Amino acid sequence: MQLTASQPTGTKVDVPMAPMIDIVFQLLIFFMLNLKILAPEGDFSIHLPQGEAKGENLADVAIKVGLRSDADGNLTQLTIGNRNLGNDEAAFERLNREIQQIVGRPGNPVVGDIEVELDADFETHHRHVVKAISSCTGHRDPQTGAVTRYVERIKFAPPRASRA
Amino acid sequence: MKTRKIDMSLSEADMTPMIDIVFQLLTFFMIAINFENTKADERVKLPRDMLAKPPEVKPEHELVLNFGFERNEDGSKKNAIPTIFYNDRYVEVGQLTADLEQEKRVMEALHGKEVIDKVTVLIRADSEVPTGLVQQLIKKCQDNGFSKFSLRATAEEK
Repeated sequence: MQLTASQPTGTKVDVPMAPMIDIVFQLLIFFMLNLKILAPEGDFSIHLPQGEAKGENLADVAIKVGLRSDADGNLTQLTIGNRNLGNDEAAFERLNREIQQIVGRPGNPVVGDIEVELDADFETHHRHVVKAISSCTGHRDPQTGAVTRYVERIKFAPPRASRA
Repeated sequence: MKTRKIDMSLSEADMTPMIDIVFQLLTFFMIAINFENTKADERVKLPRDMLAKPPEVKPEHELVLNFGFERNEDGSKKNAIPTIFYNDRYVEVGQLTADLEQEKRVMEALHGKEVIDKVTVLIRADSEVPTGLVQQLIKKCQDNGFSKFSLRATAEEK
């Protein structure tokens, strides 16, 4: 049997690169112009806000957290129940520890029945409320980055009247 | 007079390294681009928190409300009263009812009557907005049938 190998012609086929480079540059410019360097964002869920959305109280235990502020919205007092925790960064850490003590060990089956009610003055800056929600929601270990969840159900007390 | 002959033969530049680099850049930008955050309004200075993490499961339907202050270029407030940034308009909380009704109508027309119970209202409120106004905004949304709410914060690394 005779094997016939096709004879290489030896001619070099030039692929036109110019259109591909044009398109690639167009794509590059599109993606460069659309790129926005943004920090990642996360959400905190609120369950039954205003405390009257569905007309039923699902929680067996409600922890009342209060945020008092001056007319400019600066925090003057953070409370849990009737206890004053202060008005600085350490106050939120104290709140976090208080919640941890109430919740007990992480993964406690009763945790699902615990609800936190936030009662904030009208003028209180939103960041203080988010900080309080975060302190009630859980704790993040600064070394390992591991998150321990405490209370998932957060609601707002009926809004207070504005001072203005 | 002697004249020097110039060699007119074309010398082709090697394009391969340039194409390699351009493809590398293209791949980087394609991966880095985040179309998810197109609803994020940079005028809103979100509160920062260590526990704020991007949700693992994205809500099926969401309504993003950016709530902040009109600001000058230097970041100072142009107007002391915070407004909702809604379709290139600045709407005060009290005047949002018509827009929320329209959002509800559009969602119901697109996804059916029951969709409103599945919509999560994502509130991107500026860190200095008074809490009372955020609660008023939530109340307005509740009056229009929305029942799920989330407050958004920027993830903080320590």
